[in-house]
Amino acid sequence: MGLPMARHLMAAGHTLAVWARRPESAAALLAEGAAWCATPAELAAQCEVVISIITASADVEQLAAGLIEGFAPGAVHVDMSTIAPATARRLAARYAEKGVGWLDAPVSGGEQGARDATLAIMAGGDAAVLERVRPLFECLGKTVVHIGAAGAGQVAKACNQMVMVNAIQASAEAMRLAGAHGLDLARVREALLGGSAASRVLDVMGGRMARRDFVPGIQARLHHKDFAILMDEARQLGAPLPVAAQTWQQLNALMATGGARDDTASLLRMLETMEPREKKPC
Amino acid sequence: MKVGFVGLGIMGRPMALNILKGGFDLTVWARRAESMAPLLEAGAKGAGSAAEVAAACDVVFSMVSDAADVEQVALGVGGVAEGAKPGLIFVDMSTIAPAAAQVIAAQMAERGLAMLDAPVSGGEVGAISGGLTIMVGGDAAAFDKVQPVLACMGKSVTLIGGSGAGQVTKACNQILTGVGVMAVAEALNFARKSGVDAGRVREALLGGFAYSRILENHGQRMLDRNFKPGFKAWMHQKDMNIVLQEAHRLGLMLPTSAASAQLFNAMVGSGLGEEDSVAALKLLEGLSGD
Repeated sequence: MGLPMARHLMAAGHTLAVWARRPESAAALLAEGAAWCATPAELAAQCEVVISIITASADVEQLAAGLIEGFAPGAVHVDMSTIAPATARRLAARYAEKGVGWLDAPVSGGEQGARDATLAIMAGGDAAVLERVRPLFECLGKTVVHIGAAGAGQVAKACNQMVMVNAIQASAEAMRLAGAHGLDLARVREALLGGSAASRVLDVMGGRMARRDFVPGIQARLHHKDFAILMDEARQLGAPLPVAAQTWQQLNALMATGGARDDTASLLRMLETMEPREKKPC
Repeated sequence: MKVGFVGLGIMGRPMALNILKGGFDLTVWARRAESMAPLLEAGAKGAGSAAEVAAACDVVFSMVSDAADVEQVALGVGGVAEGAKPGLIFVDMSTIAPAAAQVIAAQMAERGLAMLDAPVSGGEVGAISGGLTIMVGGDAAAFDKVQPVLACMGKSVTLIGGSGAGQVTKACNQILTGVGVMAVAEALNFARKSGVDAGRVREALLGGFAYSRILENHGQRMLDRNFKPGFKAWMHQKDMNIVLQEAHRLGLMLPTSAASAQLFNAMVGSGLGEEDSVAALKLLEGLSGD
C-alpha cells in the first residue's frame, strides 16, 4: 500500500523523505528522488508531516516512540494503518503533550485503490490538523471524511471491516448454497448483481469464488487480525455483534486449516471443509 | 509448611480462612488493609507486601482479578519473586488466559520458583464451604507438596497437566457454564412464551437426559427471579473473552461460545452486568416483546 501512495505524493510535487524497517523496500522510491532517513527520529526532524501505513498496533506504537524524539512542535503524524482505536487515542494524547498533531486516517480500497489514488480515507483527530493535511490526502484518495476526534477514524475502519467481511461470509454462504444445488456460481452471481442483493463484495469476492481464485488480494490473516480488535472493542462497550461473532469463528477456523495467507474469499472453502460430502444437484 | 495468601476479595477471603481452619500457619497480604482485618482477627499474620509474604512462606497462593494483577503479584515490584526463598511454590488461583499463565510460570521458573495455575469453580458458596473444584496445571512434585493446602479449599482437586492446563480446564468450564446458562434461559423463556408453566418444564426435564446442575440451580433462580450475584454477568463476559481470545490465537472455531459471548455483551451493555448471569433470562424476555 505504502509504495504507490508515496509515489502519488511525489508526483504531486511534495518533497518526500522515507524510512522503512527494511531499507531495500525503499530502494524504488530513492531511485525516483526520495531522500533516505536512517531512523524514524531523523525522518520526524526533517518533515512537517509524517505518514505511516504499517501492520499492527504494536508496530505503530514502536514507530511513534521513535518519531516523537525528532518531531518539532507543530508537526503532524498521520497514521493510515488499521489499528485499535484505543491505541490511536493514546498516541494522540502523547503527541499532544509535545505539541505534535495526530490523525488516524485508515483507508479502504485496497492495493488497487492505492495505485489508482481512489482510496476512501476516514480521519479521526483535530479538524484543523485535517485541513492542513487535506492536500496530501487529495493525492491519495477520492473521499476524505472527518469522522470525529482521535480514534474515530479507526472506529469507522472497524465498521468497514465488519461490514465487508460479514458480506464476504454472506457471499460465501450464497455461493455454497448455489454450489450445493449444483448450480453455475458465475450465473448466480451475475443474476444477483442485477438485483437488490448487488454489492461490491458480491461483485469482486463472488467473482473470485466463482473462478476459485484464492490468490490474495488481501490475506485472510489481516481480516482475522482486524476482527480481534473490533470484537474486543465491542466487548468493552457491551455491544452485541452476533453475526460478526460467527464470522470471526469462521476466520479462526480458516487460520487453522491453512488459509491464513489466502484471499478472504477462501471463506467459501471453509464452508466446503465443514461439509465435505459430495452433494447431488436437486 | 508455612502458607501465604495474597488477594482477599469475595473469593480469596473465605479460601484463606479455610486454610487457617485446616491448621496451617498463614501469612496474608491484600492491597486494601480492611480486606486483611478478618483474617488477622482469625489468627493469620499480616505482611506489608507480596514479597514479605513470600519471605515468610514455603508456598504462596494468590486470588486476584486478571492477568496483569497476577503478573504484578508474581513478578512486580514488591512481588512474590522479590521475597521468595529458592524452592518456593507459587499457586495462582485466579482465572486468566492459559497463555498468560504459561508466560508468568516460565519467568518464575527462570528465578528457580515453581508456579501452579489452579483456578477454581464453585463461586462464593464453594469458597465458603471449602467445596470448590480446583483444576491444576504445572509440576507434579509441586502439586503433591501443596495438595494438603488445596484440600482445605476444595473437595475436588485435580492435576490436569503441565503449566496452563488448569486454566485451559477453567476455560472449558466457562464454555459449558456460559453456553449452559444461555441454553437454560432460552428454554425457560421458550416455555413461558409458549404459554406453558416454565417451572413444570424444568421439573420434568430434570428427570431426563437434559438434566444439568445449571438447569437445576440456575433454572430455579430464574424461576424465583433471583438475579442477585452469585457470579456477575460482567465476570462471565470477561471469562468468555479469555475463551474467545484463545480461540483466535489457536485458530479454533467456537461458534456457540461466540454467540453466548454476544449475549453477555448485550447484558453488560443493557445494564445487567452487575446482576447474576441468570439475568440472561431478563435480556431474552425483553427481546421477546415482554
